[in-house]
Amino acid sequence: MSPEKSRGSMTAFMQLAFNGLALGAAYALVALGFVLVLNATSAVNFAQGDLVMVGGYGAAALAAVLPLPGIALLPMVMAAMALLGLAVAALAYFPLMRRPASAVFISTIAVGLLLQNGALHIFGPEPRAAPPVLSGGQLHLGHVVLPYQSLAIVAVAAVLVLGQRWLFAHTQLGRRMRATAQDREMAAALGIPVRGMIALTFALAAALAGASGALLSNQFFVTPTEGGALILKAYIAVVIGGWGSLEGAVLGALLIGEFETLVAAWFGYTVASALLYGALLAILMARPQGFYGEAAERRA
Amino acid sequence: MSSAALAPTLRGLGDRAPWVLAALCLAAYAATASPYGLRVLALAGAQVVLVLGYQFIFGHAGALSLAQGAFFGIGAYVTAILGGRYGLGFLASFPVSILAPSLLAAAIAAPVLRLATHYFALATLGLAQVALLAAVNGGAFTGGALGITGVPGIVFFGWAVPRGLGLVAAVWLVVAAASWLSVHLTRGLTGRAYAVLRGNPLAASAIGLSEQRLRLAAFLLSAGYAGAAGALHAHILGVVSSESMAFSVMVACLAMTVIGGSTRLAGAFIGALLLTYLPEWLRSLEGYSLLAFGAALLAAIVAAPTGIAGALAKAVAALGRTERPILPTPAELPVPQGPSGLSLLVVRGLAKRFGGIEALKGLDLTIDRGEILGVIGPNGSGKTTLANLVTGFAPTGGGTVILEGRNITALGASEIARAGVGRSFQNPALPPELTVLEIVTLARASLEDDLGFRAALAGRDRSDRRERHEAEAMYFLRSLGADGYAHALCASLPYRAAWRVEIARILALEPKLVILDEPASGLTEAEQGELARTLRRLARLGLGLLVIEHNMPFLLPVADRILVLDEGRAIASGKPEEVRQNPAVISAYLGRKVGLA
Amino acid sequence: MNERLLEIDVPGAALESSSLVVAAGEVVALLGANGSGKSTLLRSIMGLYPARGAVRLAGEEIGALSPAGRARRGIGYVPEGRRLFPGMNVRDTLLVGAHGSAAAAGPRLRTVLELFPMLEKRLETPAWQLSGGQQQMLAIGRALMSEPRLLLLDEPSLGLAPVVVDELMLRLRGIAAQGTAVLLAEQSVARTLEIADRVYALAMGRVVAEGTPAAVHASGVLERAFLGADVVTPIRNSSRAEEQP
Repeated sequence: MSPEKSRGSMTAFMQLAFNGLALGAAYALVALGFVLVLNATSAVNFAQGDLVMVGGYGAAALAAVLPLPGIALLPMVMAAMALLGLAVAALAYFPLMRRPASAVFISTIAVGLLLQNGALHIFGPEPRAAPPVLSGGQLHLGHVVLPYQSLAIVAVAAVLVLGQRWLFAHTQLGRRMRATAQDREMAAALGIPVRGMIALTFALAAALAGASGALLSNQFFVTPTEGGALILKAYIAVVIGGWGSLEGAVLGALLIGEFETLVAAWFGYTVASALLYGALLAILMARPQGFYGEAAERRA
Repeated sequence: MSSAALAPTLRGLGDRAPWVLAALCLAAYAATASPYGLRVLALAGAQVVLVLGYQFIFGHAGALSLAQGAFFGIGAYVTAILGGRYGLGFLASFPVSILAPSLLAAAIAAPVLRLATHYFALATLGLAQVALLAAVNGGAFTGGALGITGVPGIVFFGWAVPRGLGLVAAVWLVVAAASWLSVHLTRGLTGRAYAVLRGNPLAASAIGLSEQRLRLAAFLLSAGYAGAAGALHAHILGVVSSESMAFSVMVACLAMTVIGGSTRLAGAFIGALLLTYLPEWLRSLEGYSLLAFGAALLAAIVAAPTGIAGALAKAVAALGRTERPILPTPAELPVPQGPSGLSLLVVRGLAKRFGGIEALKGLDLTIDRGEILGVIGPNGSGKTTLANLVTGFAPTGGGTVILEGRNITALGASEIARAGVGRSFQNPALPPELTVLEIVTLARASLEDDLGFRAALAGRDRSDRRERHEAEAMYFLRSLGADGYAHALCASLPYRAAWRVEIARILALEPKLVILDEPASGLTEAEQGELARTLRRLARLGLGLLVIEHNMPFLLPVADRILVLDEGRAIASGKPEEVRQNPAVISAYLGRKVGLA
Repeated sequence: MNERLLEIDVPGAALESSSLVVAAGEVVALLGANGSGKSTLLRSIMGLYPARGAVRLAGEEIGALSPAGRARRGIGYVPEGRRLFPGMNVRDTLLVGAHGSAAAAGPRLRTVLELFPMLEKRLETPAWQLSGGQQQMLAIGRALMSEPRLLLLDEPSLGLAPVVVDELMLRLRGIAAQGTAVLLAEQSVARTLEIADRVYALAMGRVVAEGTPAAVHASGVLERAFLGADVVTPIRNSSRAEEQP
């Protein structure tokens, strides 16, 4: 291969890798929220993807009223989403606390339906876009073009992920949330208000989802039904990264973003998706008695 | 007709009356409906079949499958391709539409059904997404994103069933057949067996029911029904596109099943009809129907988990007669066969690791028929692990377990239960929603392989056999003094009854070896005495017993030999008197007991 | 005489009801074999298990309070197996036991670290990497961070070497001397008798003896409860004819 050509394909690769990083960063926020709730409640929040969609719409709608750059709107969107997260916990989780996990699966599917159709009614079926975080435009690094928006997504996601880490590692609130997620009964025996911690976890997860939506909906128009694919990707990220691991979920999501972008560029989006789901099924089936076996052994 | 025969006949009529009434209403509506109305009615019928299918895996087997929509779509596409593109008649395309998703289900069943809730849901969701991708990107084969048009109605050898009333009749005929099959498969003891699977999977294995087989059968049936529903859907609409595979189909099916009622026949009808007609009635309220769907699903799962059908059934039961059901007369059973000359249980080098911890480090033990071996040891010494390994509730990490010459080391829990090893659990393995008589009856039926869809199809799940099993169950309950509790729900049993029922459940499978895990816990001294006498009686009948206990005053007089475990090893073995005075045993229990006489 | 800090109804040997009492600054031991009900009793004081009768803390009925509520009223709980939070280091484990902010917990943290100096050197160590004895000290330290009036311990000596158990018992004695009441459920009899002010012996969920360590030890009731020492073997030796075939 000639030097120009190899440089060209190297550039193309780096370009794609960077795009994949940005996509993965947005996914990471969704996956992080997903696994936080999973740890705190042992339940799958199927509405997490739809929360991303609401965040996207929220940012778009807010921008129509307040002509500010995305970065200024973001805290407002996240705050509103946090409140929505509390509502989801109240509707779909707390009434079902003593029931098996599949009940919460279903109730969050129902909430997802409500969110989708609520969005459809409030915002209409036309796709919307949120404003960019800072501005449009691009940075040129050699031959590689780095859109400011993608850079901003990576930066914002990094700040939020690191912020969550800091919260959990260095504040009493974070310690209490961790304790609740790891051993609810023991946490209660230490005087921790377990329900409050769980509610806050939902709020945090929703805020992260909303941020992801606000970030993504600039490049990818948001429609009411896009939550579905996202929840599957969050789920896959958590399986890849190790069920229950926060870092694993983030890394898994980054991996998925990269994988999707790179494979799609060469073979098309369909092949990328098919390979992703195929990989998921392979991982699930290849794990030894592992998942189920562990549970059976723990029980008896 | 004598009055004694009249009552059950009237009751039978009473059960059927609502159905006859509903059928008449439906027919009346069909006779007067517009072509559009008939089309909706036909589509609703297809949805009933879809929900009936989903009830097998989601309702009866209690597994959250998210592939039902995909199976539906596959059935629809098969019909569209075979009927639309190749012009094959109904008799060719319909069976294939049923077979194709069933084969797919069978192909993925083995690895996927082992997965616990979240993973199973995820795997089926992944499968559904793959199917959707295949449909959208199938090029000329699947018609791509636009799908396949020109799907004919139901055609038999060139004669097309007339659209409108004819098609409605044909569809609802299929509904009737599907309903008959559902009822036939689940009305008998098999339905109750699935209830055990949902309510207490340990109990299911303990009475010899293979969880894997039960789930597999349910999964295959759900896929087959979904394929049939999809085929009908294709014939009615005349068009198949990726919409038939979309996740919204799955969500709608889930909503119908939960809202209608996931285990009752009426639930499928109520759910499907309600949620098919709701958008029609709310047509004026443009698209609020989906919001209503979501709200109804949420309300149902929170407040009415058994669905509308379940709520109705409860209401009817509350209003109905409260006559005391009669107790079946106990049967007489022959005494179990005598010893065969081989040791009953021989365990060699049994080992098990959990993560970094060695729970058992190479254990040997032998039990003969007629012998009671007590197993004692401090917390964490491996007693329950031993029980789990021998009975197949956990896989071994080394060593062999031989039951009267037969190597059972690698067998699963339900197989070992049927091979003749019964066990109790620290918390009695009794499914909360079943009655005492039901669970013991199921154990008897399981022993004779009268449970499961295959048995139901073969006609072995019938009322006369059920009556015989009930009589046999009463025998065991009476011999343990629990016959008075026959119609009590297992969830409501006090301790003093639960232990009896647990042992009756064990004996009903005619075991050779019985393993009891802390049977005396929670019992008064008088009951402990009765338990001890029961155990000795069983030993005299030729059973071998392994009794794990903490309660020394109970165990030491009852056991023939004692085995002491500490940290996964046997540290002493012998007659109770010897073991009790063994210094190693004393220090394992009491700590360095300097000074205690 | 010290005020009754904790009072809970328990069934007695002859099925009558009696009460288990702990006074401020006392070390009270619950002795009994596995399955004797010691853990259940502690859990019901903490609200993790339904209590059979009344539970009173400093005269106030706390039966209606949740476990978190009881913890906030001044009960510290060190459960069987310690139940340390996986992934948390020593500092976080201690701080999560405090009821207020980390800043407010500063002085208390120092006090607890003085009590358990081996933890001070290992503040950043993940809890799972500590030895059994250190983990037990950490679990106790965590419970002490909320300055409880009553400390409940469920079999703290389980899995620990005798030397470590000795050290543990000395610390518990010290904690009680500072004014915190200690209610200790144990299987390891000898060590516990040495530090307890009073002892309750449990068997099958009932209190079968109560008194000073010396008195209970001398009565021999402990051996009977643990190993059925003097139970004659009536079942096997009874006339076979009496039993139903």
